[in-house]
Amino acid sequence: MDKLTQQRTGVLQGTLDMLILRTLLYGPAHGHQIGKHIQRTTNDFLQMQHGSLYPALHRLEKRGWVSTKWDMAPDRNREFKYYRLTDRGKKQLVVEESQWKQMAEAVARVMWPAAEES
Amino acid sequence: MKWWQNRKRNADLERELRSDLELEEEEQRENGVSPEEARYAALRAFGNATLIKEQTREAWGWTRMERLLQDFRYALRQLGRSPGFAAGAILTLALGIGASTSIFSVADAVLIRPLPYLHPEQLVRVWEQMPNGHRPNMAESNFEDFLTQNDTFANLAAYNYGVASVSGGTEPTRVHISAVSPGFFTTLGVQPLRGRPFAADEERPHGTPAIIVSYGYWQRYLGSREDLSKFHLDLEGGSYPVVGVMPPGFDFPSGAAAWIPRELDPPTPSRTGHNWSVVGRVRDGVTVAQARANLSAIALRIRHQYGTQVDLSNAVVVPLADAIIGDVRTALLTLLGAVGLLLLVACANAAGLLMARIGVRRNELAIRAALGAGRGRLVQQFLAESFVLTFAAGILGILIAAGGLRLLPAILPMSLPRREEIIINPTVLLFALSVIVAITVALGLFAASRAGRRDLRGALSSGPRSHPGSSASQHLRSLLVVAEIASTMVILVGAGLLGRSFMRLIATSPGFQEESLITIEFSPPIPQGQAGLDQTAIARQAHLLDDVVARLRTIPGVSSVGLAGAVPVAAGDNLPEGDFLILNGRRPPASMDEFGQMRRNNSETGHALYAVAGEDYFRTLGIPLIRGRMFSHHDALGAVNVALISQALARQRWPDQDPIGQTIDFGNMDFNLEPLTIVGIVGDVRARGLDGPPSSVIYVDYRQRGMNLNSTPTILMRATAPEGEIVSAARGIFRDIAPDIPVKFSTFAAEMGGWLAQRRFLLLLVGLFAAAALILAAVGLYGVIAFFVTRRTQEIGIRMAIGAQRRDVLRLVLGEGARLAVLGVVIGIAASFAITRLLSSLLFGIGATDPLTFAGVAVLLSLIALAASYIPARRAMRVDPVTALRYE
Repeated sequence: MDKLTQQRTGVLQGTLDMLILRTLLYGPAHGHQIGKHIQRTTNDFLQMQHGSLYPALHRLEKRGWVSTKWDMAPDRNREFKYYRLTDRGKKQLVVEESQWKQMAEAVARVMWPAAEES
Repeated sequence: MKWWQNRKRNADLERELRSDLELEEEEQRENGVSPEEARYAALRAFGNATLIKEQTREAWGWTRMERLLQDFRYALRQLGRSPGFAAGAILTLALGIGASTSIFSVADAVLIRPLPYLHPEQLVRVWEQMPNGHRPNMAESNFEDFLTQNDTFANLAAYNYGVASVSGGTEPTRVHISAVSPGFFTTLGVQPLRGRPFAADEERPHGTPAIIVSYGYWQRYLGSREDLSKFHLDLEGGSYPVVGVMPPGFDFPSGAAAWIPRELDPPTPSRTGHNWSVVGRVRDGVTVAQARANLSAIALRIRHQYGTQVDLSNAVVVPLADAIIGDVRTALLTLLGAVGLLLLVACANAAGLLMARIGVRRNELAIRAALGAGRGRLVQQFLAESFVLTFAAGILGILIAAGGLRLLPAILPMSLPRREEIIINPTVLLFALSVIVAITVALGLFAASRAGRRDLRGALSSGPRSHPGSSASQHLRSLLVVAEIASTMVILVGAGLLGRSFMRLIATSPGFQEESLITIEFSPPIPQGQAGLDQTAIARQAHLLDDVVARLRTIPGVSSVGLAGAVPVAAGDNLPEGDFLILNGRRPPASMDEFGQMRRNNSETGHALYAVAGEDYFRTLGIPLIRGRMFSHHDALGAVNVALISQALARQRWPDQDPIGQTIDFGNMDFNLEPLTIVGIVGDVRARGLDGPPSSVIYVDYRQRGMNLNSTPTILMRATAPEGEIVSAARGIFRDIAPDIPVKFSTFAAEMGGWLAQRRFLLLLVGLFAAAALILAAVGLYGVIAFFVTRRTQEIGIRMAIGAQRRDVLRLVLGEGARLAVLGVVIGIAASFAITRLLSSLLFGIGATDPLTFAGVAVLLSLIALAASYIPARRAMRVDPVTALRYE
């Protein structure tokens, strides 16, 4: 893994919770799926670090934003640990999303003031 | 989930990761990668599974507990693997913790814990203040004025303190008795455990006699009987029913075995007879300062009213705790300081050991870091290890302290206030615990900061055999050793100063031959109490004493027997002192009042100690007659009363005249106004103690003046046979002549031992701490120099290969040791200069910066340092260049 990607993921780690919650909005998924989904959706821009993913999943579980259940995968004849968004998780997603939006706008205003004016 | 569901959750995580990993692997295979490749690719994609698990567990939050347990297990394993290091560090720290805990328990009992009285902060001692700065006890009439005119005290109580013969219990004994004014016990806020306090008709002049005894006396002499009504104690000729027993631990004034109402003695209205100690309780809401101002105003009024008829010009009010602790504070603070330094040395030593360990464990740490142990994790690991170390050391230390406290009574001076209260209580344990926690955190963080700084890659690549430790850590260890040497220097200087003072003190001659002297306190009752003895009483007393002395003289092995009113030096404080009149041809005073008036003329008075003695006293002690003549049998009861004076008094009071033939009056000592004619001058004696100047003493003849309560009749025997034989023979004689009179045998050496006990105690402990610190510092220095040699083995090999002699190697290594030692000694000397000033009041005959002590200690410390460096230096000299160069 090259250094650049590592750094990018590092910066975005704080928002990992939000990405996971957003991913789960489509329905329950297990860790591998979540990671893969985020990676694919960002065109591999965000290489999913397992060292960040699993702690994040367990953190969300502890806070009650996701619930877990071991379930049979439809396409594989095996059980996986599925994460499902809870109602509180949905609310949290809204909160984080709006915070992120504010943050992004604020950063944008600083970074590209001219674009903002025009 | 809770932390006890730990296992289940771990299994769950394990399963989750495995299933996801397998899935990854499957997907890789489905993409057409070979099974083996797929496996590695999956593992690569996943990264460090252990680290993921650890970090995930971290997200659960509760793992701190589990991790801690794991750390402790690991720490125990680590220490078990290097028992030498563990034992060294634990013993070092245990020594420091144990010593400081035991000294703290003494300080806690004596200095910190409040006095065992109700609201002790309200209690104060009160003295008169004389214009010359002296603080005498209170005169009776002045006390009455303070008592009735103040508006800041709940009560003021007067008490005195004296020795009396008490019989009526299981055996007659000589004990300390205190006569107390009304409200004495309520002032202190302590009620009798059994019986009752004094009743009103016992606390008035010519009232009903009554006595209250201490718990100890009740246990020992009254058999702890519940029913007190049967007990009547005979006290100096009177019979006193026992009405109460004070609770255990009530010890005021210190050592008192019984209390009687002071009204039983006839009142001695006087404004200059300083007979009463005073304790008071200020009212609620009144500060000590307000009380002091109040009594000062009354003192000024008294002074204004009576002018020079009173001695006082002010009143002194001191919190009772301060008054009791008095000069012990300096000694205890000295001990605390010494033991604190020892603790520092011990910690520095343990830190040095720890650093050496880190050097050895460099690889292990590097591997752990490479495997993903975060820095915080390493810090925690070190904290756990230092906790295991200090905890073990702490338990051992507390055991040492407990053992030390059992030994302490043997060396604690009897004069130490509150010595029975010294125990290991929660406060002391809390102290020990805080010390342990402080050391744990300090050592743990210290170790972690050292370990955390290491360059992992360097450590891993250089392998285990390269020099164990960077030059930075060598530097730090050197600093630690310098600090150790400097602290040791300070303790050693303190011990040296105390030791030299002590040697000077015991080398000081008391003014007579002190060897093989047996002392016997023999206390015939003195019927008239504080008032003077009449002629018949003097004759009867002299007859009894003569009889005893004559019989004692017949014991084989007794070369001479003398008699005096107190053991000089050892019990010199028992000698009364006061102003006497120089009559110069004037008529002697007819009454005590007239005596008081004549005393106001300073040009015709002097000040001296008052000692009752017989002529044999001087012969027995070997006090020489300088001029004039001794007491003789011509000096009978009716003849001219004679006196001997010490050279010091002659020098001081009659510098240009011949004192022999002068007539003086010392009637304030024995209420006998018959004048005294000075007939001789005798050699000087340091009667009040070895640390004082030769005393001004006036000796009077017991056959002419008798011994009243001011004196403790003491027989001194010069023995040429073993003491035991003489004492048992003497016991027989006393049983024969006076079976009811208490007798206390001792030797002058033993009495002196008691007098020296406080100094010896201090010296012994500070000396012990100094020795311990010295050993620790030597070990610390040895460690650093040995480390230095190991690190430089290669360099030494090269030097030798290119022609360096063993001498040069020795110089190199010893030079390193000497450098550290000199630095430590210099810093130590500077610190000592600042610190030993505080010891000044404990020293005798030398200054706080005594150059000989400083130089001696510096030399001693340097020699020890050289010796500690010499052992590794010898190893360095034996380095074989070939081996050393291959060493890498």
